[in-house]
Amino acid sequence: MLKRLPSSQAILQVYAVIAVMFSGWTITAFLWKLSAWLLILNLGEIFTVFSYSMVANLVEGLTVLLLLLTVCVMLPASIFRDDFAVRGTILALGLIGSLMTFVRFHMQFGIESGVRLLIGPLLVLLLAAILLVFPSNLRIVRFLHSAVLWAADRMVVFLYVLVPLYVVLFAYVVVRNMT
Amino acid sequence: MSRISRRDFLKTSAALVASATFARASRILSSAYSPKDDKPNILIFVFDAMSARHLSLYGYTRQTTPNLEKLAERASVYHRHYSAGNFTTSGTASMLTGLYPWTHRAINYRGMISRSLVDRNLFNLIGKEYTRFAFTQNLWADIFLNQFEKDLDFHLPSDSFSQFADSLIQPNDLHADRDLAYFVLQDFLNLRVDDLHPYPGSLFLASADLARALASDRPYISADYPRGLPTNHDFSYENTSVFEGAGRLVQSSILQSSPSLAYFHFWSPHEPYSARKDFIGIFPEDLKSPYKPRHPFAGSDFSDQRLQKYRREYDEFITDVDAEFGQLISNLETSGALQNTYVIVTSDHGELFERGEQGHASALMYAPVLHIPLLISAPGQGTRSDFHSLTSNLDLLPTLLRISGKEIPDWVEGRLLPGFGGIEDASRSIFPMMAKDNAAFRPVEHATFTLIKDAYELFFFTGYPGHPDAFELYYLQEDPDELHDLFRRDITTASQMKDELLEAISTANHNYQKQ
Repeated sequence: MLKRLPSSQAILQVYAVIAVMFSGWTITAFLWKLSAWLLILNLGEIFTVFSYSMVANLVEGLTVLLLLLTVCVMLPASIFRDDFAVRGTILALGLIGSLMTFVRFHMQFGIESGVRLLIGPLLVLLLAAILLVFPSNLRIVRFLHSAVLWAADRMVVFLYVLVPLYVVLFAYVVVRNMT
Repeated sequence: MSRISRRDFLKTSAALVASATFARASRILSSAYSPKDDKPNILIFVFDAMSARHLSLYGYTRQTTPNLEKLAERASVYHRHYSAGNFTTSGTASMLTGLYPWTHRAINYRGMISRSLVDRNLFNLIGKEYTRFAFTQNLWADIFLNQFEKDLDFHLPSDSFSQFADSLIQPNDLHADRDLAYFVLQDFLNLRVDDLHPYPGSLFLASADLARALASDRPYISADYPRGLPTNHDFSYENTSVFEGAGRLVQSSILQSSPSLAYFHFWSPHEPYSARKDFIGIFPEDLKSPYKPRHPFAGSDFSDQRLQKYRREYDEFITDVDAEFGQLISNLETSGALQNTYVIVTSDHGELFERGEQGHASALMYAPVLHIPLLISAPGQGTRSDFHSLTSNLDLLPTLLRISGKEIPDWVEGRLLPGFGGIEDASRSIFPMMAKDNAAFRPVEHATFTLIKDAYELFFFTGYPGHPDAFELYYLQEDPDELHDLFRRDITTASQMKDELLEAISTANHNYQKQ
């Protein structure tokens, strides 16, 4: 079973992309709301709100990673596992990017737009699918793959901040709910 | 075999959930409590954003409240009852604590009562000998109920009796850390589908909520509700279901565990004004109202024609709600549930349709947004008593404490209502205010303050960017529409009231001034 999993370095690269995307969204939203919260919540309460948000973030990130690893285990190694850092990153970008577009479209156009809100997310997923399906011997695809790999590699540095933060905030939330 | 539609499924599920909630409430209340003594039950019905100026009970020309008028025939009716705030947070907090907004500090959107004052609430003060039950459809008012959680024997979820909940996770799903769970889940992580400016913190939860809203065939508009179902922008509901649910709960549970204090805070007739089809078009369009030019502090600039339209829709919605309430009271009477029960009807604030403004929570605090109804029907009361002296919604807490035989603490800023031990004091001053953009932890310097005394009303607009501080003075007895500003004409009154208001503000701000 473990043999079917990709290398830990590749998992780390993909998780870094996932964590940065989720936490980037949450922290941006948090900062957007902060000015209103400063009127009504004290600093301790704001810290608690941030803690819950980041713990939700952690759960979201691990869920997506687990999903990708499940896919990786189920598919033949040559399709996904052997190039997990690139393909996993592209899939994560597609999945999380489509969620971002979905929610962003709603923020922009409202619920009244109905199923048209799905246009953006579907385009993002289509783009990810193209990157995954097109043969990697094409020059442009090769360039994009190497760019994705480069970016995923650079994202790992953020884990040095995010992982300790997740651990501390998770512990804080657990303690709050135990007392 | 007939096929069950998704809508039928959702309705059935909602009914099952409501039944389970109801059964749980009944079980908890009937098993945990038994009649204790002959103390009266207290039922408080709060109608959100119901302006006294729009009720035929108080002389409004449109016949909006025949059922409230019927109840008034055996109740104490307060004709000059004012809220301490012009939106839910400050108005409701004052009603439940007996404190002015500048004291309890719930002054902002989604604001909380000062953490050090949380025990100063009606449910705590009335004590454990009462079975204390609370339900609000207003999520901002539910913040307070979350703060008072330890003082409540039963706190029904806001979306009870509602068929169409929008959010996947509700604040009640987190019990251990309920105060802030509300903020994290409801105000941040979740997506409020109907919110005008959403920015959800969780992509997963937001997408799930959004997908759920898109996938459901939730009838935003139905044959019965051509303007859309009533909604608090978080969930939609039908008033019939909500009032029937409240009635069932009162009949079969609450009043069996006497004495009870039950607080029902209904969203209607808050906007959107979604009256049932039977009430649409019942009023002619020719209601005469005096022209009032746009106010410089108004947040919007609706035309008079548009405001008349909103006003008519609001009146229709009030009439709809009044009919539902009439049915509720009738059912409770028939069941004998009101025999030893005080019934209180009031609101948290009013609504404004003038000077370019529609709604509430703006800088404008004219009478329609502060003047709220108050009726108290005592057990066995057979006649109507009318009180015309100035009263405030801070007065409800001490009055209810007196009714329930409790001591009234010294810190209460309200007074006993006339008819319940209070006196009709012509020299009384009350101080409604609005400071939604002022930090709760700082001196109040960006606000609209009001001083109402005798028949005079003084407004003080201060700290609004781009506007110099301004005062307005009106004599309500001769000018109920607040058309003639006397601030520069009645110098003596203006000066006295200005000094009194500034002194009160200074005292209130004292503890928050930088040392």
